[in-house]
Amino acid sequence: MEEFTQILLLFISTVLINNFILVRFLGICPFLGVSKQVETAFSMGLATTFVMTLTAAATWLINTFILEALNLPFLQYVSFIIVIASLVQFVEMFIKKTSPVLYKALGIFLPLITTNCAIMGLALLIPLNGYSFIASVVFGFGAGVGFTLAIVLMAGLREKLEFGDVPGVLKGVPVTLIIAGIMAMAFMGFSGLISM
Amino acid sequence: MAVKAKQLISDLKNGLWQENPIIRLVIGMCPTLAVTNTTENGLAMGLATSFVLIASEIVISLIKKLIPANVRIPSYILIIATFVTFVDYFLKAFFPGIAESLSIFVPLIVVNCLILGRQEAFASKNPTRRAIADGVGMGLGFTWVLVVLGAIREFFGMGSIFGFTLLGEWYRPMVIMVLPAGAFITLGILVGIMNYISREGK
Amino acid sequence: MEKNSTKNLILTLSIIGIVSALLLTFVYQWTTPYIQANQAETLRQAISEVLPGSEEVEEVEIEGEVFYEGFDVQGNRVGVAYQNSGGGYNGSIELMVGVDLDSEEIIRISIVNHQETPGLGARITDEEYKSNFSGKPFGDYTVVKTPPSETMEVQAIAGATISSSKTTRIVEEAVSIINNAYGGGS
Repeated sequence: MEEFTQILLLFISTVLINNFILVRFLGICPFLGVSKQVETAFSMGLATTFVMTLTAAATWLINTFILEALNLPFLQYVSFIIVIASLVQFVEMFIKKTSPVLYKALGIFLPLITTNCAIMGLALLIPLNGYSFIASVVFGFGAGVGFTLAIVLMAGLREKLEFGDVPGVLKGVPVTLIIAGIMAMAFMGFSGLISM
Repeated sequence: MAVKAKQLISDLKNGLWQENPIIRLVIGMCPTLAVTNTTENGLAMGLATSFVLIASEIVISLIKKLIPANVRIPSYILIIATFVTFVDYFLKAFFPGIAESLSIFVPLIVVNCLILGRQEAFASKNPTRRAIADGVGMGLGFTWVLVVLGAIREFFGMGSIFGFTLLGEWYRPMVIMVLPAGAFITLGILVGIMNYISREGK
Repeated sequence: MEKNSTKNLILTLSIIGIVSALLLTFVYQWTTPYIQANQAETLRQAISEVLPGSEEVEEVEIEGEVFYEGFDVQGNRVGVAYQNSGGGYNGSIELMVGVDLDSEEIIRISIVNHQETPGLGARITDEEYKSNFSGKPFGDYTVVKTPPSETMEVQAIAGATISSSKTTRIVEEAVSIINNAYGGGS
């Protein structure tokens, strides 16, 4: 029971308190690039969550059983990026074969995920925080959910913004960044939620 | 095969303003926002990224003919990851303080879209000398924005620049500036100002 | 020769992979001694900060935990230091606590490593915050927001209550680990 509570707390703090985008600054590129419509933002979030959960599991296994066991810490970055790139490729092929509907929804986002720093950041944070296998997977899933939450909220705001009267020079990227700043402030309110 | 000096200079200048990676192309945002809470961090991150960018551009423009098109991207990523690991260990060995404050953003240079993007867009198509000019220009363009952003945030957030206190005891720091929210807002306003300036120039 | 044949693709990637691994092995071997020296230096500085007056430091292992005993010029034990870590606001905080076993008091603490927000949580490294702990008896501390009125109270940094209280918990834990290992706790 104790462990279950810990895992639940980890999940909540990953989603809300240490939100990957708004607090850790990971995954800003898709956050700015793919947040024009709620629907596409949600698909992107879904694809990212899927890859993140798998990445968390895969990198934990590789780090524990290969890199640490053989004492090869200096190959960490090279091997993580290879794992992520192959995983994305694999997921793309798998979805294409099994579910054309899902492929249609997520397909174009998958290649973008390889260079999404949220994924690499996740892989790097796991050994740094010393999580167990289960905690790593929950951390990966929580990070994905947090990413989805932020990007969908942003897309919702930007859809409304279409009708707003934004000063010319601030149109596009600048105003998106300023909104992100206000969102980050709002998310700071969660910081007292859990005291671990 | 002779590359004119004029061409090299224009490649160099390109990254500083016209196609500035942060302001114009809006790529490489994660480190831009994350490590610019102080001027020093911004400068260190800019230089580390520039090194990886220039080194990868040199290597890739040298061996571009040997790499089959189908494995182009994986090969680039491997080369970039190698240089990033080098920088990471180098900083940890000789500048431990900087390595500490940049933490995971040094390894994250691997997935900085700026680096891979320049390999695809420039190094894989142009001779080595032009690739060097492009790398230096883009690297400097990235670095100066990081330094300016770091300076603004440090000045308002802590009343100092490069760790030197400029404002006296009377100044109550705007803590929000060094927090994530301040990063987004400062960069948003900065990009807005740059848009305004370049529009005036036209 | 077909440039995009599978054999060629695998060959290219393998060659790049092998060259990169070789290069990195070299870099690793070249930088490791420096990195270890840096870590040793950080440790040494932290110990001398929390055990002022210690000339010689001895590493002692008790029940799997490493403690650092500091001795002055005459060979008297100045105190015992222990490095503890735990989660902070942004990432983990590592700190060193030096205690005087005779008077059962904390001598000083030193923050070895942290990722707290600059200007806010990062002020746990300020003397103003660290001195909170100097001379405190062993036990549990309460984090307060006003200047402390009782011995067991520790004043939090304004705007960084979470960093302050997490640091306090790490110090507390370190003290109780030292106390248990050295037969105190009575």
